Amino acid sequence: MAGSPTVTNIVLLNSQTHRSLCVHVEPSARYGDNQRFVQVVVAEIPHLVMQYPVLLSKAADTGAFFCGAMLGVDEGENLFLREGGHEGYRPLNLQRMPFYVSGAELGIDLDHPRIAQERGQALFTEQGEATPYLESIKSAFRDLKPGIEMTKAFIDTLMKLKLVEPIDIKLGFDDGSKRELAGLYTINQSVLRELPDASVLELFRRGYLQLIYLMIASLKQVPVLARKKNDRLLQASEALAGSR
Amino acid sequence: MKAGFSVTLIESPNIKIIGVGEGTWPTLRSSLEKMGISETEFFRHCDAAFKQGAKFARWTTGAENDGYYHPLMFPQGFTQLNLAPHWLKDGQGRTFSDAVCPQEQLCENGLAPKTIATPEYKAVANYAYHLDAAKFAPFLQQHCTAKLGVRHVLADVKSVNQAENGDINSLATVQAGDIPGDLFIDCTGFASLLLGKTLGVPFKDCTDVLFCDTALAVQLPYETPDAPMASHTISTAQQAGWIWDIGLPTRRGIGYVYSSRHSSEEAAHETLLSYAGEQHKDRAIRKIPIRAGHRETFWKNNCLAIGLAAGFLEPLESSAIVLVELSAKLVAEQMPANREVMDIVAARFNDVNHYRWGRIIDFLKLHYVLTQRTEPFWRDNLEPQSIPDRLKNLLQLWKYQSPWFFDEFDRLEEVFPAASYQYVLYGMGFRTEIGPMDNADTAPMAARFLKENAAITKQMRAQLPKNRDLIRKIFEHGLQPI
Repeated sequence: MAGSPTVTNIVLLNSQTHRSLCVHVEPSARYGDNQRFVQVVVAEIPHLVMQYPVLLSKAADTGAFFCGAMLGVDEGENLFLREGGHEGYRPLNLQRMPFYVSGAELGIDLDHPRIAQERGQALFTEQGEATPYLESIKSAFRDLKPGIEMTKAFIDTLMKLKLVEPIDIKLGFDDGSKRELAGLYTINQSVLRELPDASVLELFRRGYLQLIYLMIASLKQVPVLARKKNDRLLQASEALAGSR
Repeated sequence: MKAGFSVTLIESPNIKIIGVGEGTWPTLRSSLEKMGISETEFFRHCDAAFKQGAKFARWTTGAENDGYYHPLMFPQGFTQLNLAPHWLKDGQGRTFSDAVCPQEQLCENGLAPKTIATPEYKAVANYAYHLDAAKFAPFLQQHCTAKLGVRHVLADVKSVNQAENGDINSLATVQAGDIPGDLFIDCTGFASLLLGKTLGVPFKDCTDVLFCDTALAVQLPYETPDAPMASHTISTAQQAGWIWDIGLPTRRGIGYVYSSRHSSEEAAHETLLSYAGEQHKDRAIRKIPIRAGHRETFWKNNCLAIGLAAGFLEPLESSAIVLVELSAKLVAEQMPANREVMDIVAARFNDVNHYRWGRIIDFLKLHYVLTQRTEPFWRDNLEPQSIPDRLKNLLQLWKYQSPWFFDEFDRLEEVFPAASYQYVLYGMGFRTEIGPMDNADTAPMAARFLKENAAITKQMRAQLPKNRDLIRKIFEHGLQPI
């Protein structure tokens, strides 16, 4: 997945071995929230579109499409991070770090920057019971794990109906710099308009039609995101001018 | 394309396909895409692999390290500027193809021309395919009958019924009776049953130009299933011809194409085995006759020939399948509306085919005329009477000006563009004279293109996976259609 740490040391979580382990829970770039494009599941889409463009992209190692929210413009940039927090809805894939799921078991990446020796949230009580924090992680995976399959089924349907098309996002900023974002895909609206009735009905019955329109609406978040980026760039150049 | 006609394929159940010709051109990508075939399915069913051009080893001096590339990408900035004179003036120690195009380095490093995230039929670096012809034919047949409405009749043709003007009315078959038609496409291979035997169109022999008349082919397994696989054809010159070496995912195909006037079959066997390695001495070797040449006319009356029925040349530049594609495309796009206009389309078809066959013969011969090798086969290839006049003139001209857009390679669907001639000429050490001031006005532009090529090459090398790894991923995950 885009932005995941490349070196990992994932072990199964164990209430004995990891009794005293703590995790930094606050959103922060240094803990790995600095991701431009985060994989999401269909159940999140209604929350996401209030803030982010929701698009499709391809996994580099398989070429398979996945659904993601665009949080920033440049690599390693999340424009929604604030000192000690995250604006609005924080995607499950950021919330669940540094945990993974392996079958029915929960795994944890012991080399993840969120791992804390002291301070931070405990995973287990002194009695070895899961803390409310760990329960919240388990709950995130209850949405995330079946969600990945459901999202794949949604994307497969989009592909079957040829409803996916590439989108070229070209942005120009007030500091004179430009960005061209490649490898992103969205709903092909002209194909959507020409769909036969039976397909439309099927999309509606499966709840996909709503998702499709939410994804289309979320394109309006692109200029909002670009403005955010523009403000960042201007702040940076003002800071630079001020320091001279 | 004209709608409202039907296609019937009559195929003998008793005659086997030739099944040679494992190299193709990038045109095959658009042909397959136009037919509605998934590239992923094509890779999986036809044992297909990527081809980014050819490496010609030992063609110039015969030395161990003698070799050059004919890649499939144009030199950088080709439509705006001819880089050849600039490279000739100062090559900075790089080969021509390496200076102007990324593919030599991609091939040398065994890299694929795209990634698993590149859509079907799209390329990062231009590519064609290597494929198993014995699997490709049934794959196409299945697609054409199941998806494109082609009627497939398994029957042997016993006679041809003609009208008074010579037009073919119908084919009498053993198993399926009389099959009438308005237009007949002769795909009967070397037999040329309709155009040659029935309509009496003679064969134009070209063995006075291209001497190779026999091929010995053998298939070799890889040492291990994950052994590296070349993404280009390797053609290595030998004493009386050359050996092709083509990597498919499951095996290598190699074959010695030679002149029987210059080598005995026994000596040819030895040459092939010494290339393959002694451990392969018991593998089955197939002998394939090559009669270089083509029909004098390609479309007569209501009959045209495509494929081996039209002609055959040694597979040095994989010209067989591309000629099939181009002919099929022309027929499909210009399908005569009725018999009255058929002769007009036929005249066009003949004109363009004469041009294409002529240019291919010239271009194949070009590979032989710049050699310094000393064996009789190679010396005989330099005999002036064996070189077509057009090529002779161009070689004369190219001593003073480098091939580019002045050289009449100006057809909309040119078989070999001027770039191909550049790769062979300068790959083989041909020199075009460059005056001291010739490049002055375009030098800054040339420097920019050469720099761009170096940057693109570096970027591609960082981005592209190993050839074998990508093939494996295509089998596992498939390529996306967009």
